[in-house]
Amino acid sequence: MIEFIFMLPLATGLTALALPASLGRIMLLITALLHFQLTIMSWMGKLTPAFAKYFSASPEGLLILMVTSFIFVCISLYAFSYMEETEMENKPVFICCMLLFLGTMSMVTLSDHPIVLWIAIEATTLVSAPLIFIHRSKEALEATWKYVLICSVGIALALLGCFFITMAMELGNINAPLTFTSLNTVATQLDPLWLKVGFIFVVIGFGTKMGLAPMHTWLPDAHSQAPSPASALLSGALLNCAFLGIYKTHVLMNVAGLGEFSGNVLIGFGLLSMLVGAIFIIGQPDYKRMLAYSSIKNMGIIAFGVGIGGFAVYGAFLHIIHHSLLKSSLFLSAGNILLGFGTKQVQRIGGIIGFMPKTFISLFAGFIGIVGLPPFGMFISEVVIIIGAFQEHRYICIGIFLFALTLVAAGTGRIFMSMCYGETTEKFQVKEKTLRLLPPYALILASVGLCIWMPDVVYETILHSIKMIGGTIHG
Amino acid sequence: MINISQSILVITLLSVLLSLGSTRLTSLVKIMALQGVMVSLTPLFLKDHGSFGSGAIIFFQIMILIKGLLIPGLLYMAVKRIAIKRDIEPFIGYHASILSGLAIILVSVFITNSLRLTLPAGHDIVLITAITTMASGFFLMMARSKAITQVIGYLMLENGIYLIGTALTKHSHTLYVVEFGVLLDLLVGVMIMGIILHNINSAFDDVDTTLLGRLKD
Amino acid sequence: METFIPLAIAILAAPLFPGIILKVKAFFAGKNGPPLLIKYYTLIKLLKKGSVYSNSTTFVFKLGPIVSFASAFIVLLFFPFAGGSPLFSFHGDVIALFYLMGIGRFFTVAAALDTASPFEGMGAAREVFFSTLAEVTIFTVLVLFYRLTGSLSFAEYFTGENPISLLSASGALLLFVIVALFMVMLTENSRVPVDDPATHLELTMIHEVMVLDHSGPDLALIELGSFYKLFFYAAFITHILYPFTAASSLVNGLIFYALLSLIYVAIGITESIMARFKMDLVPKFILTSFALVFFAAILTMGVLQ
Repeated sequence: MIEFIFMLPLATGLTALALPASLGRIMLLITALLHFQLTIMSWMGKLTPAFAKYFSASPEGLLILMVTSFIFVCISLYAFSYMEETEMENKPVFICCMLLFLGTMSMVTLSDHPIVLWIAIEATTLVSAPLIFIHRSKEALEATWKYVLICSVGIALALLGCFFITMAMELGNINAPLTFTSLNTVATQLDPLWLKVGFIFVVIGFGTKMGLAPMHTWLPDAHSQAPSPASALLSGALLNCAFLGIYKTHVLMNVAGLGEFSGNVLIGFGLLSMLVGAIFIIGQPDYKRMLAYSSIKNMGIIAFGVGIGGFAVYGAFLHIIHHSLLKSSLFLSAGNILLGFGTKQVQRIGGIIGFMPKTFISLFAGFIGIVGLPPFGMFISEVVIIIGAFQEHRYICIGIFLFALTLVAAGTGRIFMSMCYGETTEKFQVKEKTLRLLPPYALILASVGLCIWMPDVVYETILHSIKMIGGTIHG
Repeated sequence: MINISQSILVITLLSVLLSLGSTRLTSLVKIMALQGVMVSLTPLFLKDHGSFGSGAIIFFQIMILIKGLLIPGLLYMAVKRIAIKRDIEPFIGYHASILSGLAIILVSVFITNSLRLTLPAGHDIVLITAITTMASGFFLMMARSKAITQVIGYLMLENGIYLIGTALTKHSHTLYVVEFGVLLDLLVGVMIMGIILHNINSAFDDVDTTLLGRLKD
Repeated sequence: METFIPLAIAILAAPLFPGIILKVKAFFAGKNGPPLLIKYYTLIKLLKKGSVYSNSTTFVFKLGPIVSFASAFIVLLFFPFAGGSPLFSFHGDVIALFYLMGIGRFFTVAAALDTASPFEGMGAAREVFFSTLAEVTIFTVLVLFYRLTGSLSFAEYFTGENPISLLSASGALLLFVIVALFMVMLTENSRVPVDDPATHLELTMIHEVMVLDHSGPDLALIELGSFYKLFFYAAFITHILYPFTAASSLVNGLIFYALLSLIYVAIGITESIMARFKMDLVPKFILTSFALVFFAAILTMGVLQ
């Protein structure tokens, strides 16, 4: 029963509310490990869906489930130590929401029914909201309010999109169950006009959640105000889940023969997000916001890659994996810095190399990775996307793409350099701890490892995921 | 006899218009309760009576309970606890809001007519109502400064989307389990928004969204 | 006879119904309230008295009550009470009648200005302002009814080939019209929440302040005129609620007066549970009524082509 994957965290999450925080932390860790184990079992095909009307194990879902699960194990390890060292008013709620968040995200990856997918994505918004305002500062409240309201409204539009797709079914006189799997088999009979309208609403709706510009306005606030483990989850896992909603609809469009239309929409949003991300990174005074804008840019890259099609889709999926690993690692390192210096202002931080040498290593490695330099995976994925775009003769798009990448590299580089080597007047507060260093290391090593040796099963899964929209690796 | 489904939709439109012009938050909440009940009743009278199983009846009862009682109740409690009575300084005044309501319905009639859908008889007024409700929900969110009015706007948007769902799709596709999930999301969403509202109120001494301007680039 | 009897009953019964409003209000306040026939007693009492005229007033002042009463009375002659045929009817009479009521108002206002009292001038200004706004609603209603029936007379509206009523095919839209007309009725007849007929402070009055200087038979005429006006609006709404076409005139009459009483009760309830608006909120109230009718008008164009 594959539904165990999301039922387990949901159940333990609710139980954690009743437990004291010390027990809850252990439960968080155990659930994370069990969830990882269940995920591996589902990859081995040991689990089959019990409610096939609503859930199925699609390759792209499994891929994102694996990424989410792995990141969550690392983050729960980090949170284990983090919760000890920060003041938090209501620790059981934090643990509960972390687990519920994992549960709802797993539900997103497994759902096959468009409206169940919608329910799950909306649920991720709701359960992650308490994570953001757990510190109850005025800024955190503002960020949470924007997050809940903008995302809820955005996602409501996605529901409208789902209804339009149902309508396309009706106009095509199709009598099939409303699941992505069965829709893909009858896609050519769907009414094209309403399918297009539905797709646009779905992109706007889930794009809000994914952080595509210009619907991204909640993202920097939420990511910068949430406690670091939550930021890492938001950036590394949640955005992918929202992307999954768009991707599944995009596949449907492709099968229905409207791939060019949906691809162009995605390319447009992707390039805009990249530019917006790049422009706001330059001169960003807050390093967590900087990371958030970098997420917007990377989501743009993913949308762009998927929109281009062909070889680039492969790159986009690689990019999802590596971005999640590196970005959550960076957010965890940023959490260490925040604990150490007590400020998010880039200007007031300096000399990390001297004060926190071990954090410096993970931070610097993450920086190298996120700007797309070898030996990290984002180098490969970006190169693949560019090659894919060349194959499709999208030269102007490549120009914009490279321009944005250059801007980002310059902006990020300046910030990292001043943080690592600059001067500071701040007093150093909390020492580095192994438990908080291991997770970022593990995430970065995973990214490097996947570059050197990608397991065949991962490779096969990616190929399966992109097969439907004509993605290949043989240009 | 009198056309019940049309009357329900007309009452829905009435509630939309009244909500655009209402100055007091408590009356706004009451209007939302009425709208919730009407919206939940619509599918019952729109379809053939014979096609409803017992599951459907129970579902609609739960829906009326949630949309007509539970959510407005939560909002009412929030209004009472926050102790604000009215939205004194809306971004767009009440007269202008009502006139915007007129413009919105004009546009939605225009959209509905130009779509030239092959809708079942009597369903085009559902579409008009749905589009008007959605657009007015958006309008309320933009035009009012109090956070609680924005929640109400969100609810109206959701009501409109639900109406579109009932107008355009057959119930054979969407299963009640699924709709129940949507409803549950809505309920939990309003609860969470209520909790945040409460916290905003205690942190800022007001729920005015113009106070929420600390985070920017 | 078929024409005269309903009319005679209506003319005689009109002062009865404001008594119902008072009873309902008294019920909500937990009091016994005045007797149902209180308005008749008031009228008789006023008619027995003499009139007092200020030195500064002219014939305009004396003309005011008579014209306003006459205009309200004439309107009743054109109205098909309980589905009977009216005494007079011609194509386009609705427009003439609404403007006739406008003339009545004009003379009331002129009489008020004639007293040269600052309070009365203020009341006149308010009255004219609000009824100007309400006129927009009324004429949108007439446009809508013209679209529905293709005629412009009360008789055609309610006793013609396809009478306007809530129970007809496009009846649901008339819910808008009913609510809007109810709002206009409250405005035009100076009821709560627009105006408070029982207020004691001239500064807050709208209509009452204009008739402060009238006394005796003059005041009786004004009162009676206002009863007829309210009766007319209530009857208008009653006819939209229910078509008086099928049954015998007796049954029709009973249903008519039952529904009419309900409308007066509704006014009473409204007055009991609502406070009157601040003056600056009144235009919004009237504007809302206009928006409602406008909605209905648009929907008829959009849906019922």
